[in-house]
Amino acid sequence: MSPKTSKPTLWSTLKDMPMNVWRSIFRNPLPSNDLERSSTSFTNFFLHIHPVKVHKHSLKPSYTLGLGLISFFLFVILVVTGILLMFYYVPSTTQAYDRMLDLRGSVAFGMFLRNMHRWSAHGMVAVVFMHMCRVFFTGSYKKPREFNWVLGVILFLLTLFMSFTGYLLPWDQLAFWAITVGTAIAGYAPIVGKDIQFLLMGGTSVGQEALLRFYVLHVAVLPAVLVLFIAFHFWRIRKDGGLSRPEDADRIPAMEMAEEGVKPEPKRTYGLQGLVRGPLHKVGNVPDNTVFSWPHLFRAELFVFVVTLAVILVIALLFNAPLEEPVNVMHPPNPAKAPWYFLGLQEMVSYSAFWGGIGVPGLFVVMLLAVPYLDRGTAGVGRWFAKERLLANTIFLTFVIVNVVFVIIGTFFRGPNWAFVTPW
Amino acid sequence: MRLALAIGTFLILVIHGIVFYNQFFHKWERNQIAYFDQAKAMAKTDAERAALADRKPRIEQIVVSNFGETRIDRCTTCHIAADDPRFGTYAEPLKSHPYSVALGDTQKDGKWERRHKFSEFGCTICHDGQGRGLDPKYAHGEDEYWPDPMLGYTVQENWRKDFAPKLKGKEYMEANCAQCHTDPNFKGTPMVAKGRQLFFTSNCYGCHRIQGLSDGTIGPDLTDVGHKWKLDYLWARIADPKSVLATSIMPKFNLDDASIKALVVFLKSRKGRNFSETELQRFKDKTSGAGVVQSVLQPVEIKPGEMVKQGEKLISDRACVACHKLGDKDGGIAPDISFTGLLRDNDWVYEHFRAPRSRVADSIMPAFRFTDDEFKAMTAYLAGLRTPPAMPTPEATYKALCLRCHGEKGDGHGPIAEHLDPYPRDLTKSGFMNSKTMERLVNSIRNGVAGTSMPPWGKILDEAKAKALLDYIQTTFVKEPRRELKPHPVPEQNPVAMSTESVNRGEALFVNRCAGCHGKKADGKGANSLDILPRPRNLRNGAFVNSVSDQRLFDSILYGVQGTAMPNWVDYGLSNNDVGDLVNFIRSINPKPKGGEHAGSN
Amino acid sequence: MAVNLKRSSGGQGSVKVSRRRMLGWLSGVGLVGSGVLSAISNFVFIKPRATYGQPQRFSIGKPEDYPSGTRMALDARRICVVREGNKLAAVSTTCTHLGCIVGISDTGYACPCHGSRFDQDGNVTGGPAPRPLPWYKVTLAPNGELEVDKDIEIQPGSYLTL
Repeated sequence: MSPKTSKPTLWSTLKDMPMNVWRSIFRNPLPSNDLERSSTSFTNFFLHIHPVKVHKHSLKPSYTLGLGLISFFLFVILVVTGILLMFYYVPSTTQAYDRMLDLRGSVAFGMFLRNMHRWSAHGMVAVVFMHMCRVFFTGSYKKPREFNWVLGVILFLLTLFMSFTGYLLPWDQLAFWAITVGTAIAGYAPIVGKDIQFLLMGGTSVGQEALLRFYVLHVAVLPAVLVLFIAFHFWRIRKDGGLSRPEDADRIPAMEMAEEGVKPEPKRTYGLQGLVRGPLHKVGNVPDNTVFSWPHLFRAELFVFVVTLAVILVIALLFNAPLEEPVNVMHPPNPAKAPWYFLGLQEMVSYSAFWGGIGVPGLFVVMLLAVPYLDRGTAGVGRWFAKERLLANTIFLTFVIVNVVFVIIGTFFRGPNWAFVTPW
Repeated sequence: MRLALAIGTFLILVIHGIVFYNQFFHKWERNQIAYFDQAKAMAKTDAERAALADRKPRIEQIVVSNFGETRIDRCTTCHIAADDPRFGTYAEPLKSHPYSVALGDTQKDGKWERRHKFSEFGCTICHDGQGRGLDPKYAHGEDEYWPDPMLGYTVQENWRKDFAPKLKGKEYMEANCAQCHTDPNFKGTPMVAKGRQLFFTSNCYGCHRIQGLSDGTIGPDLTDVGHKWKLDYLWARIADPKSVLATSIMPKFNLDDASIKALVVFLKSRKGRNFSETELQRFKDKTSGAGVVQSVLQPVEIKPGEMVKQGEKLISDRACVACHKLGDKDGGIAPDISFTGLLRDNDWVYEHFRAPRSRVADSIMPAFRFTDDEFKAMTAYLAGLRTPPAMPTPEATYKALCLRCHGEKGDGHGPIAEHLDPYPRDLTKSGFMNSKTMERLVNSIRNGVAGTSMPPWGKILDEAKAKALLDYIQTTFVKEPRRELKPHPVPEQNPVAMSTESVNRGEALFVNRCAGCHGKKADGKGANSLDILPRPRNLRNGAFVNSVSDQRLFDSILYGVQGTAMPNWVDYGLSNNDVGDLVNFIRSINPKPKGGEHAGSN
Repeated sequence: MAVNLKRSSGGQGSVKVSRRRMLGWLSGVGLVGSGVLSAISNFVFIKPRATYGQPQRFSIGKPEDYPSGTRMALDARRICVVREGNKLAAVSTTCTHLGCIVGISDTGYACPCHGSRFDQDGNVTGGPAPRPLPWYKVTLAPNGELEVDKDIEIQPGSYLTL
C-alpha cells in the first residue's frame, strides 16, 4: 500500500492495474483490525449509512426480530422484480390481462417473477405492520425518536397504498372489484371523499383511466416517495442514536468484560459522531457496549437478507399468484372483496359506512401519529411489554387484535351478500 | 450463524437452479422435436428434408386479426402437426386436424384443401380455449377462472360431476360456428337450429329476452348469455334451475338430454354480438325498432272440426305443464288446469290467454305468442275438461282443490303460493276467518275472488259442500269456534257523490294515510308492504275493486281487516265523509265496470 | 458469538477458523452463484420468446398465387416473392442500410430513404447499403402452402424448386 518511490514503468503500471482498479473501488482490503473495520464501514458508499460501531443490544434478534430489515429487503426485492415485470406489462384494459397470460405462458421466468412480486408485496404489508407493533411494544417511539415514529407511520400508509395500487394492474375480476370496493371506501371520507375517489379513478368508474393512474402511482410516484421516506427513516435512526435500548444496556457487567476480554475503548472521540445526539456522546468516556459493524452488523443483515429471499423464493416456487377471470364490468363476483389488508375496513364499513370506512381508521391513524407526543413518559423504553407501559401497550394491543380479527372475519367468514359463513 | 448463512445461501442457489431448469425444458419442445424426427423419417424428397433441416423448437403462433380484436393462438406450438396431413392417424398432440366436407373442406386430385385456413382463422375462434397458454392445463382452459374452456372438449374441475360427461362432444362447437353462420337454417349448425326451435316450443321466450328474438321480462335477459356463462352453468340452469339458485322460479322442464344439449348449444351461441353483424346494422335494428322477431314457429292451421284435439296437442307440446298441473303432470308453479271447464267460461279463458293480466292483475304468466286460432283451440280443449276430482269427504275436497295454494297446514304456504299475487289467504288466522260472515266465506268459495287466482268453485261445490268444507277448515285450521258477529254501522251506499273535488280530497288523504302500505300508486307496493303478510291489497286490480261493494270498502277501511295489518281507521279520526272520498278515489283509478253498478259481494 | 477484536492469527483454534473459512466460502459461492444465475435469468426474461408482431414464420399462400415472372412485394411481411419458372424465393425488402422498405424498380430494388440500389438478386449496385438484401428460407409445407421463415437466411440465389 505504500506508494512506490521509483518512477513506474509501463510494465509495472499494467501489472498493477487490476489491483489499482480494485483498490480505487474498494478502498480497503478485507478488514483485519479495528482501524480497517471502521474505515470499511465509513468509506464504502453502500455501507456508510451504517455506524462504524453498533450497540450489542441492537443486534439481539429477540429485540428487533429483524422486522425493519425484512421490510426493507422485501422492498428491494419488489423494486427489482417490479422493474423486470415492467418490461412486459402494458397498462391498457385491452392488453393488461393478455400480458398476464403471457407472463404465465410464454415469457421465461414470467410467472416466477410475478409470484415473487405478489408475495413480497403481501409480505411487506404484513411485516411493516409487525415492525410498527414491535416499535410500539418496546416503547421505541419515545424521545428522541418521536418524529421517526411519525415517518414510520407514513411509511406504513405508503406501503398500503403501494400494494393497493398494484392490486389493480393484472386487470382480472379479483383486481377490478377489489379496487372498485376499495375506492368506494375512500369515497366515504367527509368533504373530500368523492373528490379523492374521482381523482383516483380518473372518472366515475374503474376503467382505462383508473388503470393508467394506478400504474403511474405504482411504478413512479409512490416508489419515489417511498424511497425518499425510507432514506429519511434510516437517516433518523442514525441521528437519533441508533436503535432504542434500555437505559441499563450501556452498563457492561464486570464478569462479562473479563470473560470476553473486552478492553475499554481508546480515549478518542469520532468527529462525526460528536454531532450525534443521544447516548453515543459517551463514546470514549465510559466503556460502552458496542461492537464493530464489520462484521457483526453486516453479517446479521446479510443473514436477514438471505432468509427473506429464501422464504420468498420458496413461496414463489410453491404458490402461484392468483389470476382470475378477465374483467367483466357487468358481473361482479359475490362477494366482491377488497384486498385482504382492507378487509378489516370493509368489514367495518358493513356496519357503518362513515365510521367504518373513515371515522375509526382515520382516528386510528391520527392516534398513531400523535402517540409519541401524547405519551411522554420515559420509563420502559427498550424492553418488550415493559410493566411501566401497561396501559399504552394494552390499548395498542386491543387495536391490533381488533384489526386482525376484522381482517380474519372479512377474509374467511364472509360469503355471498356479505353474509356470515364458516370457511369449513 | 455462519452455518445457517451457508445453508440459506445454498437454498437460494438450489431454488435458482430449479427455476432455471424449469424454464428451459418444456413439454412443447419435446413435442416439436418428436415431430421433426418423424417428419424427417417420412420425408420423401430432398426438398422436404431440407425444409425440416434448420427447424428448431420454438413458440409457434398464429396472429389473427380478421375477427375484431387481434387474437394470438399458440396452439400450434404443441399441435405442430395440425396442418400436416401425413399425421392424420397419429395420437394427440401430434395429430393433424381432420378434413371434413361438413366444414367446407374440398378435395382436389386426392389432396384436401381447407375451407377455414389456420393462418386466417387460428384455432380458438372455433374451439375456444386460451390461445396464449402454453401449458395444456391453461391452453385448454381447465383453469376454473378461464371463461372459455375448449367447447365440448374441456371439463373444468369445479364443474358438476354428474353431467360433466354430457358436456363433451364436438356438437358444442356449433355455438361458435353460429357466430359467423347466423342463418337459422344453416345446415352446419343443426343443434343451434334445434335449440332455437326449443326456445320457442318450450315457451322460454315468454319469460326471457333475447334481443331480436323475444322480449320476456320475468327471467334474466339471455342476449349475451353465451358470453357470460359456461356450458356447465347453462346445463344446470336448464336441467335443474333450483340447484343453481335456490330462489329461482324457473320451472323444471324435464327435457331429455338431447333437448337440453340443443338448448345449451343455442344459448352458448348467444353472445350479444357476433362477427356477421356490423355495428351499423346493429344500430339500424336498434333505432328502427325491428327488434323482436314475432315468432319463428310455423302457426298451426286450426281446423274447426279438430279444435279440441289440436288444442290438446298444443297444450301438451308447448310446455304448459312445466308450470301448470294437468292430470298427472305437474310443473309445481301455477294452478291446476285439470278441470278448467268447471271453473271458467270460454270468454274468460280466451281473454286470459291473450293477456293474463287482464283477468288476474298481478299474474306472472306471460302472454305467449300464439295465433288467435290457436288460443281458441286451446280454450276449446280446456273448456272440455269438466271432470271434477273424486272427493268423498270435506278433507279430500280440501286436499284436491285448496291445498295447492292454501297449503297442507292451511297457512297459505301451498306449493305454488309464492308464485301467486295476491298471496293465498292464511286460513289459520282466526282473527280474519271469524270476523267474516259465513255468507261471505261461502261466496268467496263458490264465486271466487275476482282479479285473483281464487277461482269460482260453484260448479263443483254446491252450498252444502262449501259449508262442509268451511266447517272442516274451521275445525282443522282456525281451531276457534265462530262467534256471533255484530254488524258495523256502515252506509250501504257511498254517501259522498262522485266528483273531481271528492277524488282530489280522497287522493290527498290516500297519500297521507294509505300510501305507506298500499303504495303511492295504490298498487299495493308501498314501502312497508314487504314486511306484511298478507300483502296490502293492490287497489288498481280493477276486477277485484269492481267486485266489491261500497259497503265492504267502508267496513274494511273504518273497522279494519282483522288478521291483517289493516287498522280500523275510525279510531284514527276518519269520518264517513273521508272514507267516501277515499272510496271515490279508489273507484276513479279503476276502469268502470261494464254494468255500471258494482257487483256488490258483501 | 465471541467478539474478536484482535487480528485472528493462526495457532490455536485454527480448526475453528478453517471451518469458518469454509462456511464463508460456501456462503460466498451460494450468493455469487445465485447472483450469476439471476443475472442470466434476467436477460433470458427480457428476451421475448414469442414476438408480439407478426410471427417470423408464416404462410404466404399457394404456389399458384405466384405465376412465373412474379415479383410481388408483401409490404406487411417485408418480403418480395420472386418466381421464375418453377423456382421461387423470398427476398427481404428491408434495406440493409438503415431499415427502410425498399421499392421494386425495373432493375431490382431501390430504397427511397437514402438512395441505395440493389439488383434483382438483392446485390448492392449503388448507394450506402453495406450488404445485399438477405434471402429467406421458403418451404412447401405439407398442406401445400408456401411458408417463409424469416429466422433462417439462405444463400442468395438458392431457390425453392417446385
